[in-house]
Amino acid sequence: MTHFANYLTTYLTTEIILYTGAIGLLVIGLLGLLVLKNIFRLLLSLVIFESGANLFLVLSGFRANGIAPILTSTQENMSQLVMNDPVPQALVLTAIVIGVGIQALALSLIIKIYQRYRTLDMNEIHRKLEQDIAGISQSTPLASQEQPLYLYQKNSLVQNNEGEK
Amino acid sequence: MKMLSLLVVLPLIGAFLIPAIARISVSIAKFIGPLILLYLLSITMPAFMELQSGQSSAIHFAGFLPPYGIAFYIDELSLLFANIILIAFLMVWPWNKNNFSDNHSEIREYSLYLLLLAASSGLVLSSDLFNLYVFYELLAVASYGLIAKQPKIEGIASAASFRYLLLSASGSVLLLLGIALIYSLTGTLNIAHLSSVANESLNTFAGVAAFLLILIGIGVKAEMFPVNSWVPEVYGVISRPLSALFAGLISKIAVLFIAKVLLMVYQQDSILTMILFIGVLGVLTGELIAYRARDMVRMLSFSSIAQLGLVFTALAIPGKTGLYIAVAFMLHHLVVKSALFFLSEKMHSNHEHLKGLYHQSPFIVILFIFLILSLLGIPPFPGFWIKLNLVLNLSTITYGNVAIAIVLLATVIEAAYLFTLVKKMLANDESNKQIAYQTGYQSSYLFAVLLAIILLVSTFNISSLSKSIENMANNTN
Repeated sequence: MTHFANYLTTYLTTEIILYTGAIGLLVIGLLGLLVLKNIFRLLLSLVIFESGANLFLVLSGFRANGIAPILTSTQENMSQLVMNDPVPQALVLTAIVIGVGIQALALSLIIKIYQRYRTLDMNEIHRKLEQDIAGISQSTPLASQEQPLYLYQKNSLVQNNEGEK
Repeated sequence: MKMLSLLVVLPLIGAFLIPAIARISVSIAKFIGPLILLYLLSITMPAFMELQSGQSSAIHFAGFLPPYGIAFYIDELSLLFANIILIAFLMVWPWNKNNFSDNHSEIREYSLYLLLLAASSGLVLSSDLFNLYVFYELLAVASYGLIAKQPKIEGIASAASFRYLLLSASGSVLLLLGIALIYSLTGTLNIAHLSSVANESLNTFAGVAAFLLILIGIGVKAEMFPVNSWVPEVYGVISRPLSALFAGLISKIAVLFIAKVLLMVYQQDSILTMILFIGVLGVLTGELIAYRARDMVRMLSFSSIAQLGLVFTALAIPGKTGLYIAVAFMLHHLVVKSALFFLSEKMHSNHEHLKGLYHQSPFIVILFIFLILSLLGIPPFPGFWIKLNLVLNLSTITYGNVAIAIVLLATVIEAAYLFTLVKKMLANDESNKQIAYQTGYQSSYLFAVLLAIILLVSTFNISSLSKSIENMANNTN
């Protein structure tokens, strides 16, 4: 038992635990993106995937026994100080903000998709999207958008916001 | 030179101010975008003319010198692309197309265009990996918005945009992961600095893995082989000028990013072989699916996957030669594919309905034939010389002969479907000729003619043109 405890303390350092967490988040997110069908869950998987990458990025500047990267006059032997790298922390802040923006945009797109297709199933949406695109190119000139309204109505491709109620 | 930072700053300011100004006066807000474009062009054009060959300079922001600060790196290649970006945006700018029922959505579209402009200029000029990531994300967000904002078919466009978002955002995460890996291996993100430490610290398994992550991440935008499933869906819903912008310009900017990283940081045999395989597979899959496509837009978009595959194949040639051929391919494809997308505004999308187009409007068909001849690489058009150069140089590298065989096979397939289409257009079908011809925007037609003239002029100046591109590639550091 003591052998096992020794083993743990030698190899299971803080860094290893944190890196395992980051890679675990990445794997969970990627698996979710690959196997899930509900588009809202797909978006959540993307969020988890992103946080895994963010954790990984911030860990690249992390030292287990490091201190916050602030120099004060009270510190002695400066050359031996171990500090965390501040650059990845600055980078990850940017990355988090970008991630949140994209999530908000994706949510608004999901609302639009639900209004059009009345489903959240990715396969279903993909199938109907293919049909719609084929419909657009078959019969109507998407190219000239000077007269699209008439053509879309003719092919019942109008937005069914009102139609389905 | 300092003024060149306005390339990113002005469009950003414009993008955020346009909605506010539109509250005061919509007509003023409409003119801001074109004004910014013209003003920027008046900065970049002289800068490009004045830049001596081989000269390069850097703009350091806020007085921090590299490797600490962030910098824009300016040489002939990046300035050339900065000019091309501005001209392309002037062409696709939604001048006076009243697609939207209200001014509100129109104003938002202008904002998105300006955001896209800022992001693409930043991507071309920046020389810091993390900055490139930020600009890449900005580019992605602006393009999701532009794709989703199709008048009358917003639901369909949103679905296409969301599917694109999932793929592209996952790609961005992989890109970020690659950047994190590079940072933990080297401790720097400045590309010039990275190139000096690459040999000792990035020549490892982790270093190669980092490049793979970056390649797949950017590959989404560059229509690279395994991650291009969004292409037909997105090009199926967006308007033709926007397709011209995406297929012509945005994908090239992503390729330029990959080329930058590849050329300056990773010049290892294993990576070059990998790029060769990815490129060749892209060429083959793109042409095969395009062969089966039954409508114009899809066919053109699949063929652009194949053309970008050729660019990647060219990048697999080591050193400056690879860059030279890749840049030539990019410029050629940029002109030809944009012109084809612009021209397709005048045609019915469905192949069957294109019968008899020649009898309705012979000039369009002649223009179309001219463009596809160059796309295929038939002498004496520019496409031929580039392809010849590619094939000659491919024979010197490992697996090069296999690549040559596949590239030539793909050309045959491409010729098959393009000429079938031309045959349909030339067919004598009186009943159909009214349907085949569409009254698209005259401006798009005009731009198609303009691009065709550029192509024709470059056909006659091919030797001097190729020399200047070669010099440009050689002078890129």
